[in-house]
Formats: sequence, C-alpha cells, structure tokens
Amino acid sequence: MIALEVKNLSKTYPDRARPAVNNISFSLPNGEVLVLVGPSGCGKTTTLRLIAGLERADSGLICLNDRLVASPEHFTPPEKRGVGMVFQDHALFPHLTVFDNVAFGLRGGNPRQIRQQTGEMLALVGLEHLAQHHPHALSGGERQRVALARALAPRPVLLLMDEPFSSLDADLRNTVREQVRTILKSMVATVIFVTHDQEEALYMGDRLAVFHDGEIEQIGTPEQIFAASATPFVAEFMGDSDFLAGEITPQGILTVIGILRQDHELPDGAQVQVAVRADDIEFSVHEAGNGAIVERIFLGAFNLYRLRLDNGQVLHAFKSHTEVLPAGARIHARLSPGHPLAIFCEAGPSG
Amino acid sequence: MQITAPALPRKFFPPAANRRLAFTAVLVAAFVAIPLVYILIRAVNGEAEVWYRLLNTRIWILLGNTLLLLVVVTGGASLVGVSMAWLTERSDLPGRSVFRWLLALPLALPAYIGGIVHLTLLREPGGFIPQLLQAFFDQPVYTPSPLGLWGAAFILTLFTYPYVYLLSGAAFRTLHASLEEAARTFGHNPWQTLWHVTLPALRPGLTAGALLVALDILAEYGTVALLRYETFTSAIFVQLAGRYDRAAASVLSGVLVSLAIVILWAELRLQGKARYTQLDSHWRPAPLQPLGRWRVPALLLVFSVLSASLLIPVGVLIAWSITAFLDPDTLSAVLRTGSQGFGSYIWNSLWSSALAALLGVTLSLPVALYSVRYPGRFSRFISRFCQVGYAIPGVVVALSLVLLVNRFMPILYATPLVVVMAYVLRHMPQAVRSSESGLNQLSPSLEEAARTLGRNPLQTLSQVTLPLIAPGLLAGGALVFLTSLKELPATLLLRPAGFDTLAVRVWIWAEEGFYMHAAPAALLLVLISAIPLSFLLRREQIFR
Amino acid sequence: MSLFRMCVFLLLLTVFLVACNPPQANVSPTQAGIQGKLVIYSGRSEALIQPVIDAFITSHPNVEVLLKAGSNSQLANALIEEKANPQAEIFITTELFTAQSLAEQNVFQSYPPIGAEKLPSEFIGVDNTWIGLTRRARVIMYNTDLISPQEAPKSILDLTDPKWKGQIAAAGSTNGSMQAQIAAMRQLLGENVTEEWLRGLLANEVTFFGGHTDVRKAVGAGEFKIGLVNHYYYYLQQAEGSPVGILFPDQGEGQIGLLTNATAIAVVAGAKNLPAAHAFVDYLVSPAGQELFSKLNYEYPLLPGVPLHPDVQALDGLRLANVDVVQAALEYDATFDLIEKVSLP
Repeated sequence: MIALEVKNLSKTYPDRARPAVNNISFSLPNGEVLVLVGPSGCGKTTTLRLIAGLERADSGLICLNDRLVASPEHFTPPEKRGVGMVFQDHALFPHLTVFDNVAFGLRGGNPRQIRQQTGEMLALVGLEHLAQHHPHALSGGERQRVALARALAPRPVLLLMDEPFSSLDADLRNTVREQVRTILKSMVATVIFVTHDQEEALYMGDRLAVFHDGEIEQIGTPEQIFAASATPFVAEFMGDSDFLAGEITPQGILTVIGILRQDHELPDGAQVQVAVRADDIEFSVHEAGNGAIVERIFLGAFNLYRLRLDNGQVLHAFKSHTEVLPAGARIHARLSPGHPLAIFCEAGPSG
Repeated sequence: MQITAPALPRKFFPPAANRRLAFTAVLVAAFVAIPLVYILIRAVNGEAEVWYRLLNTRIWILLGNTLLLLVVVTGGASLVGVSMAWLTERSDLPGRSVFRWLLALPLALPAYIGGIVHLTLLREPGGFIPQLLQAFFDQPVYTPSPLGLWGAAFILTLFTYPYVYLLSGAAFRTLHASLEEAARTFGHNPWQTLWHVTLPALRPGLTAGALLVALDILAEYGTVALLRYETFTSAIFVQLAGRYDRAAASVLSGVLVSLAIVILWAELRLQGKARYTQLDSHWRPAPLQPLGRWRVPALLLVFSVLSASLLIPVGVLIAWSITAFLDPDTLSAVLRTGSQGFGSYIWNSLWSSALAALLGVTLSLPVALYSVRYPGRFSRFISRFCQVGYAIPGVVVALSLVLLVNRFMPILYATPLVVVMAYVLRHMPQAVRSSESGLNQLSPSLEEAARTLGRNPLQTLSQVTLPLIAPGLLAGGALVFLTSLKELPATLLLRPAGFDTLAVRVWIWAEEGFYMHAAPAALLLVLISAIPLSFLLRREQIFR
Repeated sequence: MSLFRMCVFLLLLTVFLVACNPPQANVSPTQAGIQGKLVIYSGRSEALIQPVIDAFITSHPNVEVLLKAGSNSQLANALIEEKANPQAEIFITTELFTAQSLAEQNVFQSYPPIGAEKLPSEFIGVDNTWIGLTRRARVIMYNTDLISPQEAPKSILDLTDPKWKGQIAAAGSTNGSMQAQIAAMRQLLGENVTEEWLRGLLANEVTFFGGHTDVRKAVGAGEFKIGLVNHYYYYLQQAEGSPVGILFPDQGEGQIGLLTNATAIAVVAGAKNLPAAHAFVDYLVSPAGQELFSKLNYEYPLLPGVPLHPDVQALDGLRLANVDVVQAALEYDATFDLIEKVSLP
C-alpha cells in the first residue's frame, strides 16, 4: 500500500527568488526507507517539513495513507497528520526525563498502557536503564536513540528523519547508523530520511531521491543511482565522478585517453561527457605519456592519485597502497571500466 | 484514491497560528502605541500660539539643560562604569569578588533617595558635612553644592553607572584573551592595548548601555526636581501641577518623546551589533593586570564610588530609621497616616509592581514569539515598536493616561489599575527583551517536535515553550517589578486618593523635609528592590 | 548568597515591627453612624491637613479617609476632568481664586455647614459653594543671624532690589499661595507692574522651591537671607529654634497693604458619600476644627471667638490689601498666562 503520495509540490519562501521546492512528485510504499539526498539548500529538508506540516506548500498535494493532508485549499496541522519526526538536533525536551520524552506522544490511553508502551520503546532502543535521566546527562548516541524512540512510540504512519546523525562524531556515526537501520527494519517503518552524505544515503536507503535546486534529479535504488546515474549532477554528487569529453564515432566513444566501447543510441558525431570514477582509470609511469601526477592522497587501503592530462583535464585514479609514485611523474592514463559508464550529451543530460 | 494537482497561482499562506499570533502582537503594539500617538497628536495639534510661546521662551533652555545633563551623566556613568568593571574584572584589585557584587547594588536605590541623602549631607550651610567641617576648622569651609547641574549630574552618575558597569563587566570577561595577546605581540603596551584594542572591541555594547542611561536621564523626575535642575521632564511635571490647560505640557512632551525616540532608535540599532564573543570551548580567562603601586589609589577609588552610591545612603537611611523608630511621635506618624497604615504602603507597592510584572511578561510573549519565530521586517518592526516605552517618560505616560482613561475607560479611572497600566507601558520593553532572549535560546525544533507528537500550538506553548523559557520570563518579570517599585512621577500623578506606595510616601515626606519619616519607607524600598536585583545579578555572566 | 537572606530577614523584621504596632483603638462616642470612604483632594500639603484629618477620624472612626494632596491647580485639573465621573467628596484649596473659579464651572455643590452663619460673609462662596476655613498672610521672613530687622525689605516690591541678588527664596509657580499673590498683585498694581516685578525676581536670581517648607528651612539654615512665605511658615521655623524674624510688608502710606488669602473647603458635585463629606465640613468650621488650624499651624481661624496661637501676631491694626475674589477668579487664566510669559519656574 502507498503510505505517502506527493504530487507537484512547490514552495517558495517569501523573501527568496528561487523556489525551495519546485514541482516535485513521488510516492512511497509502506515499509520502505526513502532517502532524500543532495547538497545543502537543495530543498530536501523543506520537502520533509512540508510533509510534516511544519511548512505550508504554495501548490501541490500531499496524501498520507490515502488521506489528503495538504492542498492549496486544505491544510492539516502537524499534530493531526500522524507522522513522527527525528530532528537534526534531536530536540529532546530538556525539562522532561527520557521516559517522559518518549511518553510525550502517547496520549489518550490509560496510564498503565502508556507506561508499558514507553517501556517497550525504550527496550527496543536499549535505553531502559536511562529512563529516569534527563537528556543533558546522555551521550550523543543515546540522545539519538531517545529521539528515535520518541518519534516511533505513537506508531506514526510515516517517520521523517532530518539529518539525524549530523550532530554525532564520525566514529559514533557508523555504529548508530547500523543500530537505527536495524530498529527501523525490525518495525517495518515507513521512513523518509534526509541527508547530505552520499555514503549514508547509500547505506540507509531502500530507494534514494537525489535533490538538486529544489527538483528531484533521479529516484531509484542505491545501485541504480550509483551505477546508472541519470544526470551529470547525480553522477558527480553520488559517485565523485570526473567528466571526460568524448565524441561518438563508429569505432566507439573517442576520448583523450582512449576509445570506450559500449552500447548507446547516439548518432555519430555527437559530443558527449563520460562520467568516470577513480576505479575506471588505470595509469602507469611513462615518460612520453599523456599526463602527470599532481599529488598523491593516502587513504589507507588505497592511494588516490590526482592526475592532470596534457589538455588540462583533471582525473582521479586508485592504486593500491603499496604503489607510491612521486608527484610530477609523467604517466600514461587509459580507460579500464569493468561496467558500462554513464554518458551524457553535451547539450543536456540523457539516459 | 485519485489525486490531481490543479495548477493554481502561487500564494503565500502563512500558517493559521502565525496569523493569529501576528494579530495578537499587533494588538499589543497598538496598546503600547496609544500614549505615544496620543501625545504626538496633541503636540502637533497644539495651538500655534502655545508653540510660539514655548519656542520663544522655554524649549531652548530646557533642551540645553536636558542635553547638558544627559551628556555629563552619560559620560560620567560610562567612565565610572567601565573603570569599575575593568578594576574588578581585569586587575588584581584586592577583594574584587566582593566589590563586584557591591558595585552593582546601587541599582536597588532609586536615584531620588540617594539625592535626598546627599542633599542633607552636603547642603550649604546646614548640611551635615559643612557643619562637621566648620566645627573641625572653626570656620566655614567651602563644599560643593549638591544642587543644580553638577549636583544632579553627580547623583545621577552614582545611580546609573551600574548599567554600564554590568554590560562592560560581562564584556571584559567574555572577551578573548587572545585578542589582547595578539595586540601585545604587535608591540602595544598594556595601556595602549586597553585603549586601542579592548575598548574599541567593547564599544557597541558600551554605547548601547550608555544610551540606556541617556533614556533614563530623559525620564528622570525625582532627582532633578529635588536638586532643582529644570529638564523637560520636571518642566512637564510643573506644567501639569501648575496650569489649568495641558497644551503646553503636551507640546513639551512631544518634543521630549521625539528626542527620546532618536536615542532609542540608536540604541536598538546598536543592540544587534552588541554581541560579545561567547564563552566557547577555547575561552580562557585573560590574565589579570597587576596594579602595582596603583593598588592603593585604585582601592580608594572603588571604595569612594561604593561609599557614595551605596554605603553612605544605606547607612544614613538605617541611622534615620533607627532615630524614627526610637521617637514615639515619628514612629506613630510613620506607621499610620490618617486611615492608611505602613502595611498598606508595602502592600500597594508589592501588588501593583507584581501585577505590572505579570502583565508585562504576558503581553511581551506574543510579541517575542512573533518576532523570534517568524523573523521578518514586519515582526521586527512590531518588536521594536513595543520597546517604545523606554522613550516615554513616566510623566508623559501619566499625562496621556489621565486624559485617555477618563475619556474612554471611565470605569478604570482613579483606580490603582491605571497606575499599573502606566508601569506596564513604561517597563514592557524590559519584558520584551527578556522574553526574546529566552526564546532565542530555545531551538524551534523543540516546538516542532511537540507539534509532530500531537500537540496543537497552544498546548505546545504551555507544555514546551513556557516551561523552557520560564527563567527568561522570570528575569523579565523581576526587571519590570524592580523598576515599577522605584517608579515615581507616573505614580504621583495617576494614583487615586489613598493609594500610596512606598515610593510615593518617601517622596511626600521628603518633599516636606521630613527625612526621618521618609527613611523607614526608603530603606524598605531598597531592601525589597534588592531581592529581585540579586536574582537578576546571579543570572549575569560576571556573577557566575 | 547572604545578601539575599539578609534582605529577607530585614523585611520580615520590619513587617513584624509594623504588625506589633496596631493603631490605638479610638473611643467613638458620637457619629459612629457616619461611615464609608471619604475622598479628599487637598491643595494644602499633607503635613498641613493630616493632623485635622486625624482628629476627624478620632471622632468618626467608621470613616475611611483617602487623601490625595497636591497642588491646587493639579487637583483643580483633576476635578474638571472628573466632572462626568466624580471621584472626590471634598476639595480643600490654599487660596480662594481656584475655589471661586471651580465654583463657576459647577464643580461644587452647595452646602452650608453648621455654624456657617457665624463666618464672615466675604469668606463664603455664592450659594455656599465653598466655605472659607482659615486666613493666612504673605510675609517676609529673614534670618536674624544674617540681617537685622531694620535691613529687611519693607515691601514685597523691594525684593527686586539688586542688593538681595541670590539671597531670596520663594515658592515657585506651582504653589497656590504664590499664584494667588501674583493674581492679587495683578488686580492691585496692574499687569505691567506685576510683570516687571516677576522679571525683577528672576533677574535677582531668586531661588524658587516647590513648596514653602523648603523655603523656611533654607532661610532657617542661613542658606538664604530672605524668604517670601505665608506667615505660619515663619512660626513653624521659629518653633524649630531657628534664628528667624518676620516682617508684615507694605504697611506704609501708598503701599498696597498686607496680602492675605484664605483656605477654603468645598463639597464636590456628585460626591458619593455626602454624610461623611458634610460631617467633615462641619468639623472643620466647628470651634474644635478651627482651633486645630490655629493651634497646630499658626493660622488665623475665620470663626470668630477661636483663639489665635499665643505666638501669632493678630491681623488687627495691620493694613490689609483689599482684593475682589470674584474678579480675581475671573482673571485667573490671565495670571497663569503671565506666569507662563515670564517663565516663572
């Protein structure tokens, strides 16, 4: 069943010229985790807030569980939408204990039932022992889990998570991320998760929606997004791709570092951009090569080399951590893709 | 379910709560605006003949007098305030942790009470000090007169410097040590560093503090009346007390309020810039400046400021109070005046100030919520507009309320509620500022979280926002309470018969020269004021 | 913080002391039936009316007196504004012109108190709208340490003599007695002479206080050589043991004579508690009330037969200025215009 349907949603803030969200549409089946990903200011958080009812849309429709909650004529306030939200800063009520925070959204039932449900939620996130503490006494990861428990406790139709891990230290983030995904999946929660971190998006999402300038560039599974980027922006943002100019010839796609042979439906003579990642390039030291090493970036398991081709183009390429080459060395670079590369027409993006 | 998205023209929908909130905030602003607008209309519509007469006689003298006092006191208070702050925060002055507290306490003393004490001590030739000197030297010794410009400037400086002192103390404390260290590495000596680096860095905040002092001086009535220095405020009071028609008072009020608005406008502009570096994780206390051979003079300086502004006035009040309590006639006169007892003065002071605090804070809430949660040009305008009370001296509030209330709310007329209304109008800015700073520290996501957890806007306000900003609201309430307790001119003019507050009693007795009678009430007023003041001071950075 | 605790302790102590001093119980033999609130607006300062009110409360223990003391004109303003919504029962002025002026504006209601027929008729308003209480004279008091009786100015017009520059104290323009003096001088000497006199005072750097208590204390302390006051301020200061002398001015041939005026009481139209108001007026013109003014405040009682304070010099034998009250009241606005014109502080 469809938990959320968004149609032609637009929102422009009063003092801004460009729309924050521009005519976006998507739907979300029950039990799926959809990650909205994109650089800051791309409209993903605004979309989340529109769905929560914390902002009003200028136009478009939002339906939750087949119930219209937002349209130009109608606006259901956030407290009547039945969505849960985890905020970037967790937004735990500092004047309430962990227990009262989690119980905050549980109302109407008898006290015993509320106590029981709260206890269950705390058990789920593994924090029963901290029930009587106040939020300021908790660690970042614990706060994160309280925020999650609080949002999930009223069994929301839809859980909205706004960059929930951004306030955590990098080493903590991976652990919490795993815990959270496990909890969400165990509850079969329907989730919209907002992040600007591609890696986090790829890990958390059943599907990803890549935002750019208030519009959705591509929706798909993590694999689709990564391997078959629909636009140069998606390719660059999700895969740290470099772009290589090429021309369609009968032999294949001609680039400065060789000919790429793969299927396409483009006419001969078309100018294209080929998205290449560091693992699609191979190079060797060669005095009469086609470029030089600019610098080596040591990443532990790999060495990432920044290369400058003789025509000025900058590319990145991996080598194993044992292969240490000096900056300035002349090299010869070539394409060695193990899979079809994303190709975009010069005039504009194409599949 | 089939959904379609009709292409509608883009509209700006403010959320419903926003609209209701905006409406409430505008209502509050309108309430605040009434006296101001009324006075300005009365002034502008003043008969040409009145304007002509005043322009030819009084206005220029009053303007000169007022501005002269304003400049002298603002300068004096800045000098005293900054130097006291520097000595207690940045030098190795002995006993600075005690001085730090004591130097802020003159805020509990209304300037006119300080003026009464100094007047009796210094007045030529009957005063205590001239007589003492004469007895000692066997001949009259010249002592400076506490009357006139310099007397008024002396007294007002003594009782307004704490504004600047508190602001600059906090600034000295939070300023990064590295800023001064950087200057030292560029070859500045400590004095050059203070002059060229530290003080300029504090300037926006200090100027804002000095402008608050200036607004206080414009509104001051008791001290200038007592020390016989005519300013706009005292001239308006005289007009109200001496004339049958109020045209001239309205014209003078219009000019005074215009002057005050200019100062307030400058202060509001500076408020935004007056942000000190916060105590972040890299902060460390700046090293103390050793005073060396200046230690004794510095100690004497601090001690004399403290004596003149706190120790002597309180000491004299205590001595007078004891004298009053020991003399049965004075005691019975103090404890009972006609049908009113001393208890009723205390009670009147307390309840009217407390109600003003409650109303002020309540009214400030929609304004603060609107301006902080929906920032924009209009909401900022409303918020600033609600601070206009700073620029409407008590006499002017009284003048407008006398005329307005009797005409439009005759039921309220001649009730203590009009006095309370004057307090609210005059002191609301303090509540607005406290509420806004409280809300600014509250992340909006807390309120949004409550909304997504099923609370409507009002429930969110009562269950999340209010409990969390309560300390800020309490501070605003304490400020309104403190200043209302000390308020004199509006109370004098608006009080119904039989409604005497402690401040009014002090004034009535002191005006007739019955200082012993006035002392117990004055002392009590100071003691009551010290309670909210110590609460407020403990919130200040420099007392943590 | 110990400061906080200390303040709370001192507060509690004071409250305790206050609570331990209950007002002495009054025996109330008569007129216990008169009760309720009695709102009095008084142009007489609190110190000069409170003893009389206290005595009234003693005999009428069930009346709660609410006093608002201020300047005549401030309270007159209030009465005019409150005409549609009257708040006060009683108005007491320190001079007759304000009383007469308000009577003409129908602010008062008629009440002939018990014994009114014994009062001199010139001190009763038309239709008994106001009733005179006591008479006072405008005199010159001087510090005897600083000047001799011979040196003291013999006429108020002499106060503009440059030899007194900076040595005279007087009450300012808000003071009813001062306003009345200017009004009387306008009538007797004309607008121009009065204006010249006022400008002369200003040129002579006369110090103008808010009230006469300040004036008498300043002269008593030797701060000023001369004070222009009502006569009883001299006696009040003398009673404090100060070296002061009194001079009744303008007694010579061709001079205007001693300026006198009278305090008056009136019942406000629309007063809510008429029984108490009437009882209060009755009390003030009764021998007991009149004697209080005479005994405690050295004033000249208007009720014949009430003895003067033994120290006070009787008015008999002095040349008194003759001022038409009704006319002065009609021209009272012009007096204020004159005060305004010369910018009297």
